[in-house]
Amino acid sequence: MSLLLGAFIIGLILALVALGVFISFRIYHFPDMTAEGSITLGAAVAAALLVTGHSPMYATLAAAGAGAVAGLITGVLHTRFKINALLSGIIVMTALYSVNLHVMGKSNVPLMNVTTFADQAAGIAAQFGTEKVLLFGREAAIRDLTLLGLSLGLVILVGVLLYAFFRTHLGLAMRATGDNDQMVRALGSSDGVLLTGGLALSNALVAMAGALLAQYQGFADAQMGIGMLVWGLASVIIGEALVGTNRFGYLLAGAVFGSILFRLLVAVALRWGLDPNDLKLITAVFVFAALVLPGSFAKLRRRLSAPVSGGSRA
Amino acid sequence: MLEIKGICKTFHAGTANEVRSLQSVNLQIEPGSFVVVIGTNGSGKSTLLNAVAGTFLVDEGSINIGGEAVTGWAEHRRAQHIGRVFQNPFSGTAPTLSVAENLALASRRGQTRGLGFALAGANRDRMVAAIQGLGMGLETRLDNAIGSLSGGQRQALTLLMATWLKPKLLLLDEHTAALDPRSADQVVRITDRIIARDSLTAMMVTHSMQQAVTYGDRLVMMHRGRIIHDVSGAEKRRLRVEDLLARFEEVRRADLLDASAAELLRARYI
Repeated sequence: MSLLLGAFIIGLILALVALGVFISFRIYHFPDMTAEGSITLGAAVAAALLVTGHSPMYATLAAAGAGAVAGLITGVLHTRFKINALLSGIIVMTALYSVNLHVMGKSNVPLMNVTTFADQAAGIAAQFGTEKVLLFGREAAIRDLTLLGLSLGLVILVGVLLYAFFRTHLGLAMRATGDNDQMVRALGSSDGVLLTGGLALSNALVAMAGALLAQYQGFADAQMGIGMLVWGLASVIIGEALVGTNRFGYLLAGAVFGSILFRLLVAVALRWGLDPNDLKLITAVFVFAALVLPGSFAKLRRRLSAPVSGGSRA
Repeated sequence: MLEIKGICKTFHAGTANEVRSLQSVNLQIEPGSFVVVIGTNGSGKSTLLNAVAGTFLVDEGSINIGGEAVTGWAEHRRAQHIGRVFQNPFSGTAPTLSVAENLALASRRGQTRGLGFALAGANRDRMVAAIQGLGMGLETRLDNAIGSLSGGQRQALTLLMATWLKPKLLLLDEHTAALDPRSADQVVRITDRIIARDSLTAMMVTHSMQQAVTYGDRLVMMHRGRIIHDVSGAEKRRLRVEDLLARFEEVRRADLLDASAAELLRARYI
């Protein structure tokens, strides 16, 4: 049960990564590698602040701010200096690796002796008086349930805020920028500024996820960002398959569901004896398949349904 | 309303592909005038429109819109004065956004876009009324993604978007060229109606000689980056398709003459 709850909580925290990747990759069609650096940046900033005695809330928000700055820099590199989208992200990601080491002072900062949001959740849980409850016939720790409730509340709050934001004049213009930048210019808005703002928002979410993840697992690590972009992308793709529609609100919710489901699948696979070292390889193969297979199936179907005389190429 | 003085633009300057697209073009357009621009392929007519819209900055010369010098302005800044419809029906609308959302974007052309809800109630009635005015039956599809509509429908909506806030200048860049004849006719009629209704100042580039003689109160013909004919008033009204074809033939002959003369000289002296 504890394993399942843990998977749920991490799935919810990483749902913020999925939402960030949804913004950069699906709204702007921008493969933003910055995310790999900014998730660690978020963890590093939060860890550094927590260690110096700041509150978890402050540390998490500061981490989001730092992520926004990272996204801003990527946006400026791409729009002002006309650097290729992928390369802009890689440049910032690479730079962030050193920045993160400086922020943390070393490659791994344990958060065992400081108050994190997980500890605060434990504090709330302690007020229930009992330590464990029965859930579906199994014992579940109140502490885990409280954490789950808090993460769920936070992700719902962020999701609702994002949904509302993308229905404002500014948010709508941001969505249009990914759709048709020429039109956005013709309607009097700078597509460069709108893209940069979107990347800042995306990386703020990713860094926030990093801050929460570090607090949940009890340490911040310089390597924790590796593979996060593909991870987020996998969540987004699963989410799209889950909701099966292109309506914006559903897609946002889908990214969250996708992240949770993916984490659960991973937890189950690990439980069944999957070598954790293979995790990233499997994630990559999964994303590859999800990107390529729908097109291949459509092609195959066309070929199969084509009249026999048309297949003379074989 | 529009004042163009001596603008020049050379693409790929200093290379083998050098193209002198605009060569010292002068043009003044009075408020409320509807100018049709025609010319051969590569004559610079679309380049002229893009120079005004700010797609690129001109090498020389100046551009004023409504008395304001916009020569050095970026494209998106000029858009506060300019409404545009492009040749490609996909260029003017955001396909995954709904019809209403696209119109909401247009309702803020050139203004700051804040955190107010884009689809707040009051605007919707005006949207329905405006779309009904197009006579395409789109008023029931306000919440459909615009990408699901046909090219003609999208061009008509782009036109609506470009003129939602009255622009000082409306630029139409062969906006019916990619449509089937029936849609093209429908869109150009709507164009004419909106321009007349709002007494807009407009420039329309077209390949259609029929459109060129039927619409507008002034006709400008371009060739090799220069304006070679400028017809307005009674003369424009008398203009027939045959007259235009004759002028194109004239231009073609002059070109041939140039080419054969050059060949003659080369044969003789090189």
